[in-house]
Amino acid sequence: MSDDMNSGESDHDSDTDLSDHMDEDDDYCGYYDNDTNDLDIDKPKKTDDPEYFEFELLQLEDVERFLNEEVEVLCSSQKIKPSLAKMLLHAHNWKKEFVIECHSKNPSKLLVDSKVIPKTKNQQLLAGPSAVCGVCLSQVARTDLYDLSCGHMFCGECWDSYCQVQIQQGTTLGIACMANDCDVMMPEDFLYSILSKPDLRNRYSQLSFLEYVKSHPALRFCPGPNCPIIVKAKDCRAKKVLCSTCHTMFCFKCGLEYHAPTDCDVIKKWLTKCADDSETANYISANTKDCPKCHVCIEKNGGCNHMQCSKCKYDFCWMCLGDWKAHGSEYYECSRYKENPNIANESVHAQAREALKKYLFYFERWENHAKSLKLEEQTLDKIKSRIQEKVMNSTGTWIDWQYLLDAAHLLKKCRYTLQYTYPYAYYMEKCARKQLFEYQQAQLEAEVENLSWKVERAEITHRGDLENQMDIAEKRRLTLLKDFLDI
Amino acid sequence: MANIAEARIRREFKEVVKSEEVAKCHIKVELVNDNYTELRGEIIGPPDTAYDGGKFILEIKIPDTYPFNPPKVKFATKIWHPNISSVTGAICLDILKDQWAAAMTLRTVLLSLQALLATAEPNDPQDAVVAKQYKENQAIFLQTARHWTNVYAGGPHREQVLEQKVEQVKNMGFEEHRARVALSSANWDPERATESLLNS
Repeated sequence: MSDDMNSGESDHDSDTDLSDHMDEDDDYCGYYDNDTNDLDIDKPKKTDDPEYFEFELLQLEDVERFLNEEVEVLCSSQKIKPSLAKMLLHAHNWKKEFVIECHSKNPSKLLVDSKVIPKTKNQQLLAGPSAVCGVCLSQVARTDLYDLSCGHMFCGECWDSYCQVQIQQGTTLGIACMANDCDVMMPEDFLYSILSKPDLRNRYSQLSFLEYVKSHPALRFCPGPNCPIIVKAKDCRAKKVLCSTCHTMFCFKCGLEYHAPTDCDVIKKWLTKCADDSETANYISANTKDCPKCHVCIEKNGGCNHMQCSKCKYDFCWMCLGDWKAHGSEYYECSRYKENPNIANESVHAQAREALKKYLFYFERWENHAKSLKLEEQTLDKIKSRIQEKVMNSTGTWIDWQYLLDAAHLLKKCRYTLQYTYPYAYYMEKCARKQLFEYQQAQLEAEVENLSWKVERAEITHRGDLENQMDIAEKRRLTLLKDFLDI
Repeated sequence: MANIAEARIRREFKEVVKSEEVAKCHIKVELVNDNYTELRGEIIGPPDTAYDGGKFILEIKIPDTYPFNPPKVKFATKIWHPNISSVTGAICLDILKDQWAAAMTLRTVLLSLQALLATAEPNDPQDAVVAKQYKENQAIFLQTARHWTNVYAGGPHREQVLEQKVEQVKNMGFEEHRARVALSSANWDPERATESLLNS
C-alpha cells in the first residue's frame, strides 16, 4: 500500500527488470521452493498445481533437428521423399501418426486431400518439338517445359520468375500451380530445382522453416521482441510459459500474455474491446483521487488498494473510496459488479449507459491491478533497500529478511491472476457459477490487499503473521484457478 | 520482371483483339500509354440483366510482377452492383485477389467481370448498401441498376419514375449524382434521401 499526498516519493529508478523476473525464472515448478519451510507441508504436487505445465525452451538448431526427425520417421515408414513428407506433415499440422495411417490405407486419397496430386491429371497433348507456355505465351522447346504432378506445363523461366515473386511476397509453402483452377502445391525439391537466385533459396528455407514452426501444434515462437527461442510442449494448451532468455511470460496456446483464468478467445475479445474503447476509458488513467474524508489529493504510488490518508489517517479503499473497515475478507464487495435488476425495461439509452458502466467497472479493476503490478516493482525496490538498511543496522541477517522478498514475489503473482479474473467475470453469464466466481474473486482480492498492506509495513517481528497471510492468499489463488481454469 | 509483364501484355493484346468476343463487340481492350502498364477495358452489359446494353469502361493497371500477380482493375463507369463500389468502382472478385493464376489473361478477367454482372455475389459484398438492397428488395435493386446503366453506361432502358425523383431532389439544390446516390441508397424514398443529404 502506499499513501502519499502530493509528494513525489516515487522517484525510483526502475532498473528492477532483472530482479522482477527472479521469481518467474523458476516460477512454474520452483515457485513453491521459495516458500519458507513451515509452509512445506502444503506444497502442492505437480498434478495439484492448476498452472503446472511442462515445456522446453529450444534454440533454432534444436527445432530444425526435431522437425527433421519427424520428417525422417515418415520417410522411413512410408518410403517417401523428404520433400513429400514435409508437404504432408505441414498439410496435416504435423499429425505424424494420422498421416502415416492415412498413407498406409489410401495413399492417393491422402495425396489429393493434401493438394500434392490433382483429382484428375491434366492431359496436355504436346505434339511438336515446341509448345506455347501458358504464362509468357511464347513458343518454348519441349525440353524446357516443366510441370507439377498435375501436368500443367510451363516454361522454366516462368516457373523461376513465379517462384521469385512468391518468395519476395513471403509465400513459401502455399505456392500453387500457375494454371487456372489448379490448387496443386509445389514441392520443395521442385522449387529448389527451378529457382535460379541463391539468396532467394536461403530466404525460402528461412521462411518455410517459420511456417513449419507456426503450423506445428507443439511449437511456438517466444513472442518476446527479437527473441530467438522456440518453446516446445507436449500438447497445445493455454498454459503459462516463461522464457528464460527474454523473460516474457505468455500463454502457450495463443502467444498473448498469460491470462489465467480467462481463456484465449475471451482475453482476445477483451483486449480488442479495451483497445477500441480506450478513449472512453481514458479518464480512468488519472492516478490521483481525493481522500473521501479530508479531500486532500492522493497519489497512488504503491500496489495496495487499502489506502491510509497520510493527513487524516482515514483508512479507505482506492477502488470504491469507501471505508476500509467494510472490506474484510467476509464481505469484500468491491470486485463484484451490481447489475441494475430492472435494466430490461429501461430505454435503449439507459441500456447503453448501463453497458458502458458495466464495462468501465471491470476495466477500472483490470487497469488498477495492472498499475498496481507496476507499483509492486517499486515496492520490491523499497523492500530491498529496507533490508539493506536493517542488515547494516544489525537488525537480523540478510537471510532473516528473505521472507519479505518471497512475500513481495507472491504478491505480484496473486495480483497478476487477479487482474486476469476481471475479463473472465465480464464475459461470464449471470448464473450461480458466476456468483461462486465472484465470491472467490472477492476473497482473493481481500487477502491480496491484506498481504499488500502487510508487506509494505513488515518488520521482523511480523514474520509469522506475514507468512500466514502469504499462505492464505496463495491458497485462495489456487482454489480459484482450480475451480475455473479449464484444464 | 517488368519485361515479362510487357512481353506478355503484347502477346495477350493480340489474343484479345483476335478473339471471338471482340468480334461480337462484347469486350475490348485499348492501350492508355506506350509502356503497356495502363490499359482501358470495355465490357458490354450481358443481355437479360439490369446492365443489358450498357457500355462499362474499366481501368486496368498492370503491375511489374504481372502475370504472377493479378492486374489491378476497377470500374471507371459508375455502376450499381453489390460487388462493385458505387463510390470508387473497386471490385470484389476472387480472381483479382487470391484466386488469380498466372495462366489467366486479360480476356479471362474481362469475361469474368461480365459474368459477375450477370450473377452477383451479395454474400461477399463490396458495397454493403447495394448488397442489402439486392437481398431485401430485389425489384428496387433491378430498377436502380437499370437506371444507373441508362444514365452512366448509355444503356437503352429508361426508368422514368426514378428520373423524376432525381429531378425532384435536384431541384431542391442538390447536385445530380449526389441526389441519385442518396435516392438509390434510400430505396427511392425522397424524404429519407433528402434527410441523408442534409445530414451529410
